[in-house]
Amino acid sequence: MSGTARVSRRHFLGGIAGTAAAAILAACGGSSATNTPNAGTGSTGSAAPTAAAAAATSAPVATTAASGSTPASTAAPAVISSTGKMTYWGGLIFSDDANNLQVQTIKDWGTQNKINIDVVMINQNETNQKVAAAVTSNTMPDALDMGLDLLLLLSNQKQLLPLDDTYAKIGKAHGGWLKAVDTAVDPKLFGGTRNGIPYGMGGNVLFRRTDVLKKAGFNDAPKTWTELSDMSEKVTKPPLYGMAFAISNVGDGNDMVYIMQSWGGRVADDQGKACTIKSPETKAFLQWVTDEYKKGQFPPGVTTWDGAGDNNAYQSGQAVFIKNTGSVTIWMRANDKDLLNNTLYSAMPRGPKMLVSPSSPVIRGVPKTSKNPDAAKALLEYLANKEFTQKYYPLAIYGPVLQDETTYDLFKTDPVHIGLADLVVNGTAPAFPDVSNTAYADFNNNYIVPKMIQRVVIDHYDLDKAIDEAQKSGDAIYAKYK
Amino acid sequence: MASVTQPQIGIQAAERAQVQSRGRVRAVLTYVVLAVVCLIIIFPIYWMVTISFKTPHDIYRAPSLVPHNMTLDNFRTLIVKKRFLTNIRNSIIVATSSTVISVTISALCAYSLVRFKYRFQGLIGRLILLAYLTPASLLFIPLSVIVARLQLGNSLHGLIIVYLSFSTPFSTWLLMGYFRGIPADLEEQAMVDGTTRIGALVRILLPLSLPGLVAVSIFTFTGAWNELLLALIFITSENKRTVPLGLQYLITGDTFLWGPIMAGAVFSALPVMVLYFLAQRFMVQGIAAGAVKG
Repeated sequence: MSGTARVSRRHFLGGIAGTAAAAILAACGGSSATNTPNAGTGSTGSAAPTAAAAAATSAPVATTAASGSTPASTAAPAVISSTGKMTYWGGLIFSDDANNLQVQTIKDWGTQNKINIDVVMINQNETNQKVAAAVTSNTMPDALDMGLDLLLLLSNQKQLLPLDDTYAKIGKAHGGWLKAVDTAVDPKLFGGTRNGIPYGMGGNVLFRRTDVLKKAGFNDAPKTWTELSDMSEKVTKPPLYGMAFAISNVGDGNDMVYIMQSWGGRVADDQGKACTIKSPETKAFLQWVTDEYKKGQFPPGVTTWDGAGDNNAYQSGQAVFIKNTGSVTIWMRANDKDLLNNTLYSAMPRGPKMLVSPSSPVIRGVPKTSKNPDAAKALLEYLANKEFTQKYYPLAIYGPVLQDETTYDLFKTDPVHIGLADLVVNGTAPAFPDVSNTAYADFNNNYIVPKMIQRVVIDHYDLDKAIDEAQKSGDAIYAKYK
Repeated sequence: MASVTQPQIGIQAAERAQVQSRGRVRAVLTYVVLAVVCLIIIFPIYWMVTISFKTPHDIYRAPSLVPHNMTLDNFRTLIVKKRFLTNIRNSIIVATSSTVISVTISALCAYSLVRFKYRFQGLIGRLILLAYLTPASLLFIPLSVIVARLQLGNSLHGLIIVYLSFSTPFSTWLLMGYFRGIPADLEEQAMVDGTTRIGALVRILLPLSLPGLVAVSIFTFTGAWNELLLALIFITSENKRTVPLGLQYLITGDTFLWGPIMAGAVFSALPVMVLYFLAQRFMVQGIAAGAVKG
């Protein structure tokens, strides 16, 4: 019996080896056949289809694309110098439709201008690692999408081309940049130049379950954080929890920073030079948040949640309030209409001292190592055209960045886009009231505030001891940048 | 010859019954413990499989052990929309190639280190161990520079070469332990009979080391099949992504596509499970031998 089994196993292994070998051969053949348009980055050394001569004869882009994609209303330069091949790293977001539209629009623009553009959508969770490796190995793309933190980092490292002229041209063509957007990319913060072109404003909107809240007699959105915690206390009934806010060491956990700031607590002084987290205001905030935690208003596990914790809690119907940028809405539209109909959106509540509701732009930039800086700039200018953005905004959950865009119907009719447009107008600048600088980014990257809360609710530190530890960590970080 | 009285028979029967009863209790306890252990091991796999057949709504809103509304949509999304079969093809290419190359090189390397005497032999052995122990997260930046200079970025052959730099030291180290357990006399005997050294290696040592070679191959294959960090850094194009990268791209921002992720996990676990199932006998022998003689 065992002998038979051994023989059949051997035969089976032989069969697998044969199949694998055939698959490898087939795959190798197949890959070369299917690779042509998308065959990797410039670093792989694949031949560029056309060179400068072809580009020199390229048509103006302000015409309707032959393939039926978006026409351009913003006139790009008539002749774009390029090597004939470009690489663009787009920021992958949850909406496949938005991703596909961006890829197709960029490729169509490339076709019109006789430039073969390899558009690679990079998962935004991994952009930092890829950029770190690409900067070191000198394989950065010709243009890329990024967040404000990465813009700050790359600007400090002098890795980006100044785009003041492109920024000004786009602003002029579309009625000017919105104030919050203009402030967020203020040259003062980035070494004296505009190093990126914003293409959407993101930020948290407060989601609330209207069905649950109405039953408890609450019809309006909470205006203050304490009002929110009072409402939450009335509706929390496990497994339904009122305050599904992360207190873990992830980006969402750092939302606690702006809640602390709305209590008057500050990360650093007005110059952004010294950490000043130890204050009575911080203590008052810490008292509030840890009291609410101890009352059981936060779902179990919030201190170890990943970035999807609030999404999962809300989508499974176990959260009444969450702060979210809009990905939950996209999910509900596709998968849970009931939940969508029982959801309303509002701005962040106020704290005892002020309203802090940060909005932050997503940005396109051109690395200084780009072999096609003119073409990259022309592409960024093209991507601000009205026809494209009118299609893009409904698919991607972003607020407007240009004056003209505020007139789009979407920002007057769609609840979540109304919330985002409101956030752009009434929200606060990134880091406000603190100074957005590298030390502040480093402070947040070390998750000092969520860790401070964890010390109290998990390790049972008293408030002063937890604040002292946060101050010590903050001092060490800010000392590095003096 | 002493005759057995009636009461003695009764006592013996009672003792036998007691022993049988103890045996039954022990067997029941053993099976209970085994069942609990199996449940702990199998339940996550069962959960993964059931989620892959659930609708997104049911995954979140109707948690249950059995899918209420069975759907193949997750597999459809994975294969048609996310082109996961391309990821599987790429992983097969990368994992198979790096396994074959790594095992070939490390068999020769381990043979040299175990059978020959030369200067710095011990140092080389220790350096190999050191190379194996260096975490990939420390090496990805220098590796990215090398890969870019060699123009191997965003290519499967580049990834294979990068994986070799980790798998070859590991395979060599394991095979050294295994080769040490096989007496050199056997090869010497064969060489006395007229075979060459390579002949002795191929005809004597390697067949005797089959369990070790299979174990090393499976470890190398599994390592390459599951590797994420380096693939994330070195692969950019969608059509060159490996399985872990394909799964990683099902998480965008703060949204997890649990259905397709679990369907992908089922898909990607199958080849490794089949490999382990087929080679489990060799695995146990190979690892045990390599471990005690390393």
